[in-house]
Amino acid sequence: MTRIFILFALLAAARPQQMLGAIGCTLSNPAEDLKYLYPTMTTFKEELMEFPKLKDGAAAFQGLRARLGSDLDPIYETYETPYTVYSVFQGATKIGIVHGVNVPGKGGVIQVFVSADPKTGEIRSFFFQRLESPAARQLRSKEFRAQFTGLTLADFYKHDYYAAAQPGAKADKVGAIQPPALDPAGKHDYDASLRGLRKNLILLDYFVYGRRFEPFFERAQQARKQ
Amino acid sequence: MRFSLAIALILAPLMAQEKPATDPFADLNPAPPAEDRAPQYSWLARFFKQNFAFREELMSEFTSDVAGTYASRQSAGFEVQKKFSTETSTVAGFDFQGRFVRRDGYNPVLNDMEGATRAGWRFEYHNLYVDLYNIANPLLGGTARGRNAGRFNFRAGHFYVPFGLNLQTDTHGTLLQLSNESNFGFERDWYTGFWGSINRHLNYDAYYLAGSGYDLKFRGQSGLAAVRLSLSSRYSSQYGLEGGVSSITGERLADNLPLRTRRIGVDGRYRHPAPGGTLTFTTELSAGRDARDTVSMDLQQAEYLRASRRWGIATQFRRFSRANVGATASVLSEFTWYFRNDVAGSNSHWLKLNVERQIQNFPGPPQTIVALQYYWYR
Repeated sequence: MTRIFILFALLAAARPQQMLGAIGCTLSNPAEDLKYLYPTMTTFKEELMEFPKLKDGAAAFQGLRARLGSDLDPIYETYETPYTVYSVFQGATKIGIVHGVNVPGKGGVIQVFVSADPKTGEIRSFFFQRLESPAARQLRSKEFRAQFTGLTLADFYKHDYYAAAQPGAKADKVGAIQPPALDPAGKHDYDASLRGLRKNLILLDYFVYGRRFEPFFERAQQARKQ
Repeated sequence: MRFSLAIALILAPLMAQEKPATDPFADLNPAPPAEDRAPQYSWLARFFKQNFAFREELMSEFTSDVAGTYASRQSAGFEVQKKFSTETSTVAGFDFQGRFVRRDGYNPVLNDMEGATRAGWRFEYHNLYVDLYNIANPLLGGTARGRNAGRFNFRAGHFYVPFGLNLQTDTHGTLLQLSNESNFGFERDWYTGFWGSINRHLNYDAYYLAGSGYDLKFRGQSGLAAVRLSLSSRYSSQYGLEGGVSSITGERLADNLPLRTRRIGVDGRYRHPAPGGTLTFTTELSAGRDARDTVSMDLQQAEYLRASRRWGIATQFRRFSRANVGATASVLSEFTWYFRNDVAGSNSHWLKLNVERQIQNFPGPPQTIVALQYYWYR
């Protein structure tokens, strides 16, 4: 028994560390949260989304890094990470889409949720569910979050071009966002929140909108090269 | 000629600056909606592709007490989760956890108190339940459906005893457990009843339990009625706070005989940012009677999880006291290295080292038990 004990302990300790993790992100109280976001809601529907179950899911996951513009976190952002998309209905009419993602913050998890227009993909509201951060109060402020209302993923892709080629351009809506007053300790979580919001919109484009905003990504890439 | 060329060279950059910058996105619109292109599946493909999750689990656990009693528990398991939806709403959910387990030897570790009588090979089930969501909807009009969304849900099956924090804590794979196993002799039971939100601040659970634990059986016990009121999840999200009060009363089986049981309890958990990570404090306190015997349960736990979610440490104190019999009490310490560590518990991979020092024990003298656990769930 002692030998078996030692053998298994060694095997367990030697498991490859590249078998890394994933984090799903669901509303913790969906009915109440969705009612609050959409007071005219009558019903809602949950849909589990996973890259392995998507058509060309592996390729889509490979493309996530390029569209995000930064490396994926090996704990939070793996191929197997499950996501939940909430569709909100008033009668038979879909009136909203709600989706959340987790991103790593300085103090722990940041859960970034978006409610979006089901037809246009425009942000209706952007909010944090869980935010373990020294800058939590500032990032949760209504004034800061309200600046994102009406933006789409296209605006984030366009920002990549404007920030590099035309800094300060009037058409750069993301560049015009005013960050809340933060001390240096909160800067990391501000950046992580914006990254989470962008990731959220990219995943929604994959899962819900059939890659409607892909032309903007491609054009931004081309324009930057030129 | 030279003069003209010089003027042209001087003016060229200025003229270029005055020319308005071209917008490379001016002619671009989003691609048309892709709804029409959604693939059509057969009902069978829909069943397995839509809202269906099949997760696999491996667990390897070795324990030893200081006297050299070794025990091994190896298992391979799975979990099936499925949600059923109409065109406009999710109406039902199903969950089943099963494990093929091999046990050699036995030590009474917290996550295997039922294992004492299960030597050798065994198939075990854990969660096995059905949820029906918003069951009042067929009786309600559109506006009332919206107003009552999340309020009237029905559950039937085998799940965590609705007392204390266990309903909102996944302890399926962990070594550290909450207090229900000590308090009632089982952490899961067969039950049916209702759950949902009362308002944005409070949730409720109200069930009838068989009171038989692992096996659904009736040996003359009347069963248990359980009610729990708890803070809604927004308190956990915004303030890191969970908590509730629970009450349970009726008869359960203890050694296959009905035992009159009453408990009332209060619980809380508070998560707070700490340097480089998160600190979490957990408490479960309860008191009541088993027949005429006064009982009380006290559980206190503190955990630190690194912000990277790569490693964590935890310590727990637990004491269960029966006035006419005696008390059991332990202090446990645990170190965990996480290869994967999912907030939602859908993707976990860890190695745990746990040491339990029993301070009081009944029957028998206090022991020290060391457990090493490898766990993989995806």
